[in-house]
Order: sequence, then structure tokens, then C-alpha cells
Amino acid sequence: MTIATQPGGGNSSRPQPSGLADVIDTILDKGLVIDAYVRVSLVGIELLTIDARIVIASVDTYLRFAEAVNRLDISQEKEGLPGLVGDLEEGGAKHKTKGALEAAGDKLREFTESQTGDREHAGRRSRGRED
Amino acid sequence: MTAQAEAKKSGDSRTGVYVYGILPGDIEIEPGTAGVGDPPGEVRSIRYRDLTALVSDVDLDRPLGRAEDLFTHEELLDSSAAEMAVLPLRFGAVLASDDAVSDELLGPHYDEFTDALRQLEGHAEYVVKGRYVEQTVLGEVLAENPEAAQLGQQISGADPDATRDQRIQLGEIVSNAIEARRQADTRALGDAVADRVTASVVRPPSHELDAVYAAFLVETGKADALRQAVEQLASEWGDRIDLRLIGPLAAYDFVGNAAPAENAGN
Repeated sequence: MTIATQPGGGNSSRPQPSGLADVIDTILDKGLVIDAYVRVSLVGIELLTIDARIVIASVDTYLRFAEAVNRLDISQEKEGLPGLVGDLEEGGAKHKTKGALEAAGDKLREFTESQTGDREHAGRRSRGRED
Repeated sequence: MTAQAEAKKSGDSRTGVYVYGILPGDIEIEPGTAGVGDPPGEVRSIRYRDLTALVSDVDLDRPLGRAEDLFTHEELLDSSAAEMAVLPLRFGAVLASDDAVSDELLGPHYDEFTDALRQLEGHAEYVVKGRYVEQTVLGEVLAENPEAAQLGQQISGADPDATRDQRIQLGEIVSNAIEARRQADTRALGDAVADRVTASVVRPPSHELDAVYAAFLVETGKADALRQAVEQLASEWGDRIDLRLIGPLAAYDFVGNAAPAENAGN
């Protein structure tokens, strides 16, 4: 039986490629752990684990939700004033979409996005090598 | 001879053996398969009786944990899991030498690993992850909760500092409402896939807008049925929840019983 890495969706049985956030959730948090005394320690892993944690239900979360509601209200008011805004309405709609999901997790997302490019690059390299 | 191999030969203790996972039987690895690290070590196997560990050499002086390392680890295991049972190790497992892999990992845990691999045979893991569409879920909460709607009006256009208390109050209502939905939607997901999965694990939410997040151990023959159930659910949930099915994966969430980690620290 042959094993080969098949990055970036090369495996047709994989419904959707997983992103870095999914990978972090999985392989930093799950899987067998070797007994501490036989394991050789490596630097640079613990930090990443901590960065990947996203705090649920803190005051920050509440404030973020409130701000999201605030944006929602503003956009609805604009829609409720026909004729007054015109072009602004479109601008407002764009803004509220873009404004969603700010703050927490942004760092991780940015990291994910920037690394996704790397990953695709790596995938191409890897496929090229297999040819 | 690579620099790593030379370092190893000269007795330099700064090279370790990175272990990805454990598989049954004799495994043929495609030559040139790159492992973790920069430069990457070549993936090879270490055999102990009828168990095989997938490993590669790593330089201990360079930190691991680049995104590429994480992807390499997972993709190597997932591509294996699509074909056979595999016990995935958590990222970052490094032993001192090939002998340590045989004598300290595979040998002492031979029975556990063999049992676990037997249980996983013919299965793979799938993860279902759903996220609430923020505008939709916020609209629902405001529509059903007059207090939230009132607070929303109070903070609208007001100085954020002056309305901090109202904001926190509103945010807490929203957060609780989302948590209630999360529980109900997770139950709905469990019901929808119940007859297609062997085991399931609900993962803690990784994001405040997570709707469902669960891992399922699925027989190879039932993978299509699972996919259909998830697609059905996705269409029922429509624009409320963005739903994704990820897999087949190695059974990361289902190897707990075989984990020798219980001895850690003793």
C-alpha cells in the first residue's frame, strides 16, 4: 500500500479542503500524546496553541456582539428611509458586511489567509515533484 | 548523505525522530515524501512486529509549528486514513532515535495500539463545522427578544463609553441566545446523522459564532450517506448557518482510549 501526501484537494474523496484553523483545532488539540518522559521537547509549539484559543463569552465578546447589533440597526434604519440615501445605501450595506466578525480571531484569520497562499504554493511544488 | 544524517552519524544529539502516526502492517511510502521541518526530512517507516510508525528526522534546533508543518502532519495522516486505520499522534511528538520509537513507544504500548487500530479499521473521521451567519442570527435574536431590541435602540448612535453597561447587557443576551441555538442545532445535527455514524464527539466551539462543531467516526461504506445527511441539513438551515463537511481525516478525536498520556508526569 502506498502513502503519499495529497495537498490542496488532490484527494477527490475530500469534500472540502480544511484551512489552517481546522488543522490547528485538530492536530494541536487531538491525537495520541506520547508519555512526557520519552518525548523530546521542541520549542515553538506551546505558543501557537495558546494563540489559537479563542475566548468564548467574555466581556469583549459581549461588546463585540453589541457593536454588531449597532451596525445592524444602522443599516436597517437606512433601508427604512427610502429616497434619502441612494448611493449611501449601497455603501452602508457593504460596510456592514465587511464590519462583521471584527476583533477576536482576526489575527488567526489573517494568519490563516496568509498561510493558505503558502499552502497552495507548497501543494503545487509537491505535485510537480510527483510528476 | 544529508546534513541531518551526517549530524546523526557523528552523534550530534540535536536531531530527533518526529512521529506522525502508527499504522498496521507493512507500509510502503512513496519515495521523496516530505515531512515537517525546514528543510523537510523524508518520511520513512519504523517497523515493530506488525506495527509501523510514520516518522521523519527533524532538526531540534529549529522550532516546528510553521503552518506548512501543521499541514504536512495532517495531510500525511489524512491521506493514510483514507486507505487504512491510522492512530494519529498529536503534533509535536519527537523521540530521541529510531530505537526510542521501537523500544519506548511501539513496544510498551503494542497491545493498546493494536486494539485501537482494530477498532478503527474500516473507519475514518469526518468533522462537521457550521457557523452562524451573523446578520441572520442577530436579526433573529432582536426579533424574539424585546429587551435586546430595546437595548439595541439605546446604543444606536450613542457614545460607546457612555452606553458600555447597555452594550455588555445586550452582548450577554446575544451570547446566551447563540449558546441556546448552538445546543439545539448540535442536537439536530446529531439526530440527522445518528444512523450513519459509529461514534461522535462534540468539539467545544472555536469561535463565538460557531453553530455546530462535531467529529464523527464513520464506516467507509457510510461516508456518502453522511455527506447526503449533511447536505440535507445545510439546505434546511439555508442562510442561517454556513455548514462544512471536512474529511476523511485520521481519527484524531477517537484515539483517547489508546492514549498512553495517562502516565504522563508519573
